[in-house]
Amino acid sequence: MGQNEAVPFLLLIEDDDAIRTGLELALTRQGHRVAAAASGEDGLKLFKEQRPDLIVLDVMLPGIDGFEVCRRIRRTDQLPIILLTARSDDIDVVVGLESGADDYVVKPVQPRVLDARIRAVLRRGERESSDSSAYGSVVIDRSAMTVTKDGEDLQLTPTELRLLLELSRRPGQALSRQQLLRLVWEHDYLGDSRLVDACVQRLRAKVEDVPSAPTLIRTVRGVGYRLDPPA
Amino acid sequence: MTDLQGPRRFGPVRWRRLRSLRVRLIAVFAVVALTTAVSASGIAYWLNRDAVLKRAQDTALNDFRVSLTRNVSELPLGATCEELTALAAQVASSGLSYDVLVVDDAHPECTASSDPSLYTLAQVPVPLRTTVNKPRELTASNSDAYHLYWQRQNLSGRPFLIGGTKVVPTGPTAYMFKSLENERADLNTLGWSLAIATLLALIGSALLAQAASATVLRPVKRLGEAARQLGEGRLDTRLEVEGADELADLARTFNRTAESLHEQVEELSAREAQSRRFVADMSHELRTPLTAMTAVTDILEDEAESLDPMIEPAVRLVVSETRRLSDLVENLMEVTRFDAGTAKLVADEVDIADLIMSCIDGRAWYDAVELDAPRGVRAVVDPRRLDVVFANLIGNALKHGGSPVRVKVRERGENVVVAVSDSGPGIPEDVLPHVFDRFYKADKGRARSEGSGLGLSIAMANAQIHGGTIEAANGEQGAVFTLTLPLTQPRPADQDEDIR
Repeated sequence: MGQNEAVPFLLLIEDDDAIRTGLELALTRQGHRVAAAASGEDGLKLFKEQRPDLIVLDVMLPGIDGFEVCRRIRRTDQLPIILLTARSDDIDVVVGLESGADDYVVKPVQPRVLDARIRAVLRRGERESSDSSAYGSVVIDRSAMTVTKDGEDLQLTPTELRLLLELSRRPGQALSRQQLLRLVWEHDYLGDSRLVDACVQRLRAKVEDVPSAPTLIRTVRGVGYRLDPPA
Repeated sequence: MTDLQGPRRFGPVRWRRLRSLRVRLIAVFAVVALTTAVSASGIAYWLNRDAVLKRAQDTALNDFRVSLTRNVSELPLGATCEELTALAAQVASSGLSYDVLVVDDAHPECTASSDPSLYTLAQVPVPLRTTVNKPRELTASNSDAYHLYWQRQNLSGRPFLIGGTKVVPTGPTAYMFKSLENERADLNTLGWSLAIATLLALIGSALLAQAASATVLRPVKRLGEAARQLGEGRLDTRLEVEGADELADLARTFNRTAESLHEQVEELSAREAQSRRFVADMSHELRTPLTAMTAVTDILEDEAESLDPMIEPAVRLVVSETRRLSDLVENLMEVTRFDAGTAKLVADEVDIADLIMSCIDGRAWYDAVELDAPRGVRAVVDPRRLDVVFANLIGNALKHGGSPVRVKVRERGENVVVAVSDSGPGIPEDVLPHVFDRFYKADKGRARSEGSGLGLSIAMANAQIHGGTIEAANGEQGAVFTLTLPLTQPRPADQDEDIR
């Protein structure tokens, strides 16, 4: 991943010409390098050719829609994906997050907000300390920013990795959804707790032995989530 | 019917029940049956009684007359008491079962009776004695001076026929005592039979009334049930039409009414849905160009300073109005979501004080707001929706009331109560009921308002989707908006797995 390069390289997939042009202009001005595609198919092709650092993806696309694009990318790659949705409270958000998106913004989006989200999600992959810890068969190596389970590398998105890191920094201590939104997503007080729930589900699917009966990442009723050191 | 004397405390309910159709029908049937049965039985009883008594009387009196005539001729003039007693015994023994008493004025002390222990002169009613002893004038139609008279009399509780006559003008007077016990027994039996028949008729009529009322009341009850369902909004309620009577007509009318109501409501809601869809579609369509415009407003704003002074205000206008338009469209879409019932709650447990603090901080209102909010009031709410509520209430107070705006948070039972009060002139009484109306502008003179005119209505809808409400009132100083929210919401199930 190219998160340490000076200029982040974004792929914008949006079918409406005006929005695509407008966002391309604004994001370029915010200091990003932007490639744009007008359909899901074009977007997937561009993604394979140019390997961007991050994708900004419209949900409503002709042909294969944003969710499908998201799912196809997630099969092979863990780069951050930010969804552009029509509204914040409908099923689009849930489906989008389940398809593997890291964050979402609602149209019409202020370029400053989108830029902040992009930078926050890119920061999640940055190294911080240089220790490692083991939780049962799961080993988190903070210096290499890798997680292994039974010796095998787990493919985690930067968001999933950051969530696991934040939880593992305080093992046995419950973190509320709002706390996690601040720590991982860098959202203000109005963060959407569904982001946390969806990301926890995806993370469990990768690190738990039985994702439906989690032993590592536990839900604490009325509070949030907690990483349990194995007994 | 005896219920009428029941306790008054059941008053209205009991009265209503008594006046119900079923009770009235049964009462009418019972009265008709009772009248008919009683009058028929009464007439039958009296006719029978007369016939029975007359036959018994005639037989007894005829027999007495014949027997007396035969035996009195053997009686010598100036007969002794013994002879009179013998006569009495003879007359009595020869006839049907009756007893005889012979009285002669010559022997007032003599009780010449066939059974002296039972039948004496004292038992003969005085009027009968007087009539018997009074000679009648002889005329062409009346050949005898003395006749046989009779009277019915109860002697020590038993019914008797007492007949009396003077056989010859100077001779003794004879009385007969015929017991009517058998006849009375017969008549009593008849009376009982008739009473029982009347009772049966009464019961039968009550049952009949019950059945009749059931045939009327069952359709009426079904009609009532159907009308209730219709009232509850189940407009596809229809009745099965049976027969061709008035009730069937009523059922048909009901069905036609329901049908037409259904059609009208459907048409209305179709039209409403259409206009709602139009607003939703329109806001959606507006959003696409707005998204593109919003994307470049930041660029324009950044560059405005370096532009020609003639162009700069124009650019700033475009930027600010694009943001206004985008707020308006967002609010419109929010309203259509509430109208369509598709607005969803994304609930999370938050500290209300934190939320208000962040809301004030985020909008740089800190200097203008006095916050009285204890920490630790935690509620399960949609933080973004609640932020909209607080932003609208506080923003509205700042705009129309002026600072300082006081925000007070209190936990009250199962609810959290947030009061937002300002220091302004308050809300005019005629405006108060409309403050939550859409696009209602308190100040009609103002050509443009800073808000969209939807703020308070969206705040109210957001409160309601949480199961809460907002009330507007005038306090001691300025207007007070009070938000009441339940502390808990039903949490989505997916957040509840694997919980301790």
